[in-house]
Amino acid sequence: MVIVQRKELTLAERLYLPEIFRGLSITFRKFFEKPITRQYPEEPLPTDEVTRGQPRLVVKDDGNIACVSCGMCEIACPAYAITIDGGETDRQIEREPKRFEIDMLRCILCGFCEEACPKDAIFMSNELELADYTRRGLIYDMEKLKRPKSALQPRIDYVYKINKRWRRTQA
Amino acid sequence: MSGAQSGPTLTRQVFEYTPGTRPELDHDDPLHGELLKLNMGPQHPATHGVLRLGVTLDGERIVDVDPDVGFLHRGKEKSCESLGWHKFFPHTDRLDYVQPLMNNIGYALALEKLGGIEVPPRAKVVRVLLMELSRIMAHLIYIGTLGIDLGAVTIFFYSFRQREELYKVVDAYTGHRMNNTYVRIGGVYADVDEKVAAMIEKFLADFPAALDEIDAMLTRNRIWYDRNRGIGVISKEDAVAMSLTGPTLRGSGVNWDLRRAQPYSGYEEYDFDVPVGSVGDCYDRYLVRMTEMREAAKIAKQALDKLKTVKGDVLIEDRRYVLPPKDLVHSSMEELIFQFKVVTDMRLPRGEAYHGIESSKGELGFLVASDGTSKPLRCHIRAPGLMNIQALPMLAKGRLFSDMVSLIGSMDFVMGEVDR
Repeated sequence: MVIVQRKELTLAERLYLPEIFRGLSITFRKFFEKPITRQYPEEPLPTDEVTRGQPRLVVKDDGNIACVSCGMCEIACPAYAITIDGGETDRQIEREPKRFEIDMLRCILCGFCEEACPKDAIFMSNELELADYTRRGLIYDMEKLKRPKSALQPRIDYVYKINKRWRRTQA
Repeated sequence: MSGAQSGPTLTRQVFEYTPGTRPELDHDDPLHGELLKLNMGPQHPATHGVLRLGVTLDGERIVDVDPDVGFLHRGKEKSCESLGWHKFFPHTDRLDYVQPLMNNIGYALALEKLGGIEVPPRAKVVRVLLMELSRIMAHLIYIGTLGIDLGAVTIFFYSFRQREELYKVVDAYTGHRMNNTYVRIGGVYADVDEKVAAMIEKFLADFPAALDEIDAMLTRNRIWYDRNRGIGVISKEDAVAMSLTGPTLRGSGVNWDLRRAQPYSGYEEYDFDVPVGSVGDCYDRYLVRMTEMREAAKIAKQALDKLKTVKGDVLIEDRRYVLPPKDLVHSSMEELIFQFKVVTDMRLPRGEAYHGIESSKGELGFLVASDGTSKPLRCHIRAPGLMNIQALPMLAKGRLFSDMVSLIGSMDFVMGEVDR
């Protein structure tokens, strides 16, 4: 325990004028410092693989999406932003989503879908900006969500990296 | 809290109002005797969120204050009951939104107590580091907003500049500046790597000098001194009786800090001082918070040093609560089943648990009750800000209206947490 020191103001401090100059000496020093502001739209925010932007669907190298519409991301989503309608396909995986929508107005970018996905089909991209004229335009369907795997590769590698470090692998 | 503030209520207050209770009342004042009901908020910039204060004024003197909370009520406790254990984490971010990681940890600790989960040692160190950085973040907002309320706009920019540095650190660690959701049951999502550790080290090296600057601008400033000293004095007994916690309680001279009184996350291993005030006015609370920031930086430094020696995982390996590694999910059927089980039906054992942590505002507690299913039976949040608001009427009575701003600022509540 330490009792905080409080002292009465001295006469010089009560006189106000010397204190004004002391305060101004601090504020004027700031004129000569490097500015810390960023001209935002011209200088966008730096993003890297740690950045959790909007979720995107992985398109594999063969041109199909990796999603098998198991519905795990839909269940894991705390904001009820994801809607999936599954259907059958002739491909070997047998199931694929017929409709996959993420309501970007609801999405809170928590990354729970990315964690829950057992097929590496959904990852957080570094895309952050979100604007549209209509609400319907912000409900992203599959076409808007698809990204080639190469674009999401840094994030995929990062998620695997923290998974490795994070849990001992069992035999 | 009375609902409609119409004629009859005002009359009752006139009769309740005894002349002895107001100091230095000017009886030649032509307005004497006629009470004015003034609504401060819910959109008032000085009320730090959507708080409405029904202030009854006699001239410039405050006769009564009626805080009206609930404008930001979003049903967080009920959300917890309907969402389930894990999916409530993003909601805890939004309680006291100036220190999201601290709320995450408070909730995780309550769940771990309920489940009897032991957190790995490295995760404990990371959590202490995150909590102390969050404390600095929250106190910087306090200094900045109180400054802007009392006319010291410079301080707002200086403190927010430091906070920006902290947000960069948190952004590099979690990928988000706010609403981080990076704490999990049984640890934290990712480890603090060298890059983030170096950023924190750099921040902690620069921070004391920046704090000294704020200190030099404020502590001996005559305007600041006059507007804070002797205002809102809470006695030790009153502070305990109103169940105030945190810097508000310690400002009144009560040596009670949960980090010392009921250590959690290994706080007993850290060397720090608990600052305590002597008078209990706004100025004491300000000094306590300033000292607390220095102490928090000290603890964070110790935690950073500990990270170099304490190695290991930052999340438990328990398939009941934690998702299996992603690469194993692809190859092993059992792990895939665990993945599905944890996401869809993560259960905590039957029982009830309460865990309180020393957040920047006071004791932030989560009471969780479980009936053994994947959803909580009850989740109650003990918000320190709600108790702090309770003290406002007692403190404001008889004071000038302009002191109200200092009082609101020094109580330091965030409405997201109060109304939840």
